[in-house]
Amino acid sequence: MVSLGPAVLGLRRDARILKLPPYLSALCILVGVVWLLLLPLNDYSRQTYVSENALLPGQVHTYFGGSEHNVFRAYRHEVHSLVDKPNEERVTKLQEIFRSAGLKVATQKYGYEIGGRSIKGENVYAVLQGPRADATEAIVLVAAWRNMNGEINHSGVALMLTLARYFKRWSLWSKDIIFLIPQDSTAGPQAWVDAYHDAQAGPAVEPLSLKSGALQGAIAVDYPAGPWGHRFEKLHIHYDGIDGQLPNLDLFNTAVSIASGQTGIGCTIQRMYKHDDSYKDRLQTMLRGMVNQGLGHATGPHSSFIPYHIDAITLQTVGSGWHDEMTLGKTVESLTRSLNNLLEHLHQSFFFYLLMQANRFVSIGTYLPSAMLVAANFSITAIALWVQSGRPPKPAAKPFSTDSKDEGVEPEMTLVKEGDMTALVPASAFEIVERKLFLPVAFVCATHFLGLIPLYLFNRVSESALYPTFFLTALLTPALPLLGAYPFVTSLRPTLQHLHLIQCFSLLLLGLFLSALATLNFSLAFLVGLAAAPLSFVRPVPGKPRIALAAALVLSLVGPGLLLCVVGRPWLPSEALGGLLKGAVEAWAVNHAWTLQVVVWLVWWPAWVEGAAVLAVSGFVEAD
Amino acid sequence: MAIDKQKALLFGAAAAIRLLLFAAFPSLPDLLTGRVEISTPVTSFKRLQEGLFLYTHNVSPYDGGIFHQAPLLLPLFSLLPDIRAHPLAANLLYILADLCSANALMQIAETAESVSSRLFTSPRKELRWSSTAIAAGFLFNPLTILTTLARPTSVFTNTFILLSIAKACTGSAMTMIIALSIASYLSFYPILLFPPLVFLCYDAEARRSPKNPPNPWNFSLFHLSDLLVTTGALLYVSYLLTGSWEFIPSTYGVQLLLPDLTPNVGLWWYFFIEMFDSFREFFLGVFWLHMASYVGGLSFRLRKQPLFVVVSLLGIFAVFQPYPSIADVTLYLGLLPLYRHVFPLMRYTFPAASALLYATFLGPAFYHLWIYAGSGNANFFYAITLVWSLGLSIIIADALYAVLRDEWEAERPEMRGKDVRQI
Repeated sequence: MVSLGPAVLGLRRDARILKLPPYLSALCILVGVVWLLLLPLNDYSRQTYVSENALLPGQVHTYFGGSEHNVFRAYRHEVHSLVDKPNEERVTKLQEIFRSAGLKVATQKYGYEIGGRSIKGENVYAVLQGPRADATEAIVLVAAWRNMNGEINHSGVALMLTLARYFKRWSLWSKDIIFLIPQDSTAGPQAWVDAYHDAQAGPAVEPLSLKSGALQGAIAVDYPAGPWGHRFEKLHIHYDGIDGQLPNLDLFNTAVSIASGQTGIGCTIQRMYKHDDSYKDRLQTMLRGMVNQGLGHATGPHSSFIPYHIDAITLQTVGSGWHDEMTLGKTVESLTRSLNNLLEHLHQSFFFYLLMQANRFVSIGTYLPSAMLVAANFSITAIALWVQSGRPPKPAAKPFSTDSKDEGVEPEMTLVKEGDMTALVPASAFEIVERKLFLPVAFVCATHFLGLIPLYLFNRVSESALYPTFFLTALLTPALPLLGAYPFVTSLRPTLQHLHLIQCFSLLLLGLFLSALATLNFSLAFLVGLAAAPLSFVRPVPGKPRIALAAALVLSLVGPGLLLCVVGRPWLPSEALGGLLKGAVEAWAVNHAWTLQVVVWLVWWPAWVEGAAVLAVSGFVEAD
Repeated sequence: MAIDKQKALLFGAAAAIRLLLFAAFPSLPDLLTGRVEISTPVTSFKRLQEGLFLYTHNVSPYDGGIFHQAPLLLPLFSLLPDIRAHPLAANLLYILADLCSANALMQIAETAESVSSRLFTSPRKELRWSSTAIAAGFLFNPLTILTTLARPTSVFTNTFILLSIAKACTGSAMTMIIALSIASYLSFYPILLFPPLVFLCYDAEARRSPKNPPNPWNFSLFHLSDLLVTTGALLYVSYLLTGSWEFIPSTYGVQLLLPDLTPNVGLWWYFFIEMFDSFREFFLGVFWLHMASYVGGLSFRLRKQPLFVVVSLLGIFAVFQPYPSIADVTLYLGLLPLYRHVFPLMRYTFPAASALLYATFLGPAFYHLWIYAGSGNANFFYAITLVWSLGLSIIIADALYAVLRDEWEAERPEMRGKDVRQI
């Protein structure tokens, strides 16, 4: 510190230093984006590999086949016969089948109220007590009655029933196996896993009457082929959890390695069904993955398990090919056997990764810098604004004037020594003006608290009012700074320094929140960082009210207006936007997914309002 | 009268915001009670409830090794109605403690001891905040509010520390000693504040009767014996209450020997987890000696401003004590605005404050990754507590520099505003 101190202090007084930050910020953003674009290249991403030795993927012989196929077909017809039956009958029948296989069965009713709509359902689950297990650990196999698209999961449910009957005959299970058939793909699994950990929300979600040990992993199967079957081409693996948390990469790798190595099924991710391993396809896969992670919503029945530190994936069948239900059954059997081998919770491999193909990934060490660079650009600007706010308003007189007729006071000069060099510098360059912190701090805090209003509104209004609320918010957001500017100036009389400090704190907080968020949900931090990037380059324009107001309007339009145009797309039918809003509200209420909404309303939105407000107000503030 | 109205308004608002938070978010206090940043093994409200349960069922509260707090807290809390059913009474007690702290803080500010002590008057003495502003800074500090909501017993320690400082500033030696001994009885480490507090009190006495100031040696020895007597009395009452001396190893022994390695914002836990057992005693000695060694050095170097010694020591304890929490930081941050006049001399306020802010948000995020998500590990959290401690120690050192510089400029007014370099 001793040797560093004077050098840093010397630097602080350099007049050029304040010109640098905008370029530095822009460079940070540019490098961050380029960094991300480089990731799909071979030199920066890696081939996946299984790190946990105990998993031994594909090392066991699978016996699922033969007469099990007849059992499967019979169950599929049973399932089909239940499609239009009332709920009770369905539940009773499923219970009966599990019970006849010799398993312990229980049910759980659940219900959620969201914006005047109610989601109700009943989960059926059966516990196979492992012959070598002591009921301390369990694996979950899930087949939701309806998949994410609302189709009946005929073959998936039938496969679960068949596997339950088949697994019961084996003596090698050293963990309990739970077969879960929730009524839908998001609320049902969430209600079940919440209740499994005694964390269910309210009395509408029943507690579980039957439990086993700590859940080690969950595998969901989504195979909606009807009673006459359908041969599929590939397995589409979903791995995104709530709030962008991911399962341990080992589980994903095991699934891919078993499917492609042992049973010969190709695997695909992120709806990239035709992946030709080109740079473009890799990039597209990665970006789709990032959007899914950033949204933080449920992408399958497995998503609800991940926040409880239960690694989970969904296997979905896609396309038309030559793989049948028995191949899928063998894959699930082999995967269950691998999980059965585990001696401890999956921990060896990565929890933070971006996948760009089923067998290619980048780990956090490689990709994190890009989000951190984007976040750092705000901090750099914040520091620059802080330094600027401490500068005296005007450099005093002309220091090098030889004009002796200057009657003005001789500027006080100071001798500065830096190494061997000596310079005469006006003393004013060393002065630091006292910063008035109260108004900026209060303003920034108030704006951030203001974000609670839309956050509250969106999660409380009825579903039909969501769309109008959204438009009202989108209209008010640009209007607020413009209309508020004049009253703000006349009542509180802010100075230019105040504005610099408001912007400084606003950007400091933005950088701070984004870098904290980058460790929890990288994709969201990166995307929000990019969506707030223009704020780094906004500077007050004192004394020019018209320009300031116009600039503020433009800023507001490219900011939250961007949300309206890109996401909302007024030319799209209102159902599309409505669906998005509904999804976000449902994820908040049912899945406890908080990052997206909290970040949008309490981090991103206030930052834009503050940025536009600084610009709008600055027009009415006198230049120094 | 106007000032009283201001004060009433401030205290009313502070109490209202706390009551509102208690009432509006009934699950918030329990959530915060579980946070390692706020509740340590020696202050946690949850552990207090455990001790209370054992106490009311006539089992020694120290059986089971959960409860490490002073025995006299038990009868106090057992007087209150059942905490789970009626939390209001306990909440009010904590709010009251906060208001007492703020009141003591206002008294300290009103004596103007920070800008002009008996031996030194700052050349910048005009630049100071009103006592109401300082109290508001303490009461509305988000960290203070979080601490009150989490209800660790360090809130009471803070109150008694502030009370003893306030009494020392006004020269009421006996009350000062009683408050200090209660604070030390509750948390042990405040006993290290005795030397600067005695200096402070002596200065106040000497200022009151400049003609014949008391003999410094007699004064110190007399009050040292006072302290021993009052602390001894508190311990003896505790002995009578619990029926044995076993509370000593369970309370002060835990502070000294660090058997409970629950994570906290401090530097000790990780270090002692990693350490081989054969070095444990040695490093316990080193850590304690390090922390205690600041007392002598600062008291001598800053003899002219004993109040600043107390403030700095509180900051140092917030970093280096065995079980620190943000409650200790609130105390330091509450007292620091008394030195408003040296703020312009501080050099690293912005980076240090930013580091603290970053640590405030990254700390819980990393703790979440480690404990709940399972995707991080202990190193994540420890790294961020290092940043937190670094930020705090920069602020402490910078304030120290600013005060020394202020003293130096009082001696040599011609150097004012000139650049200095430490060689």
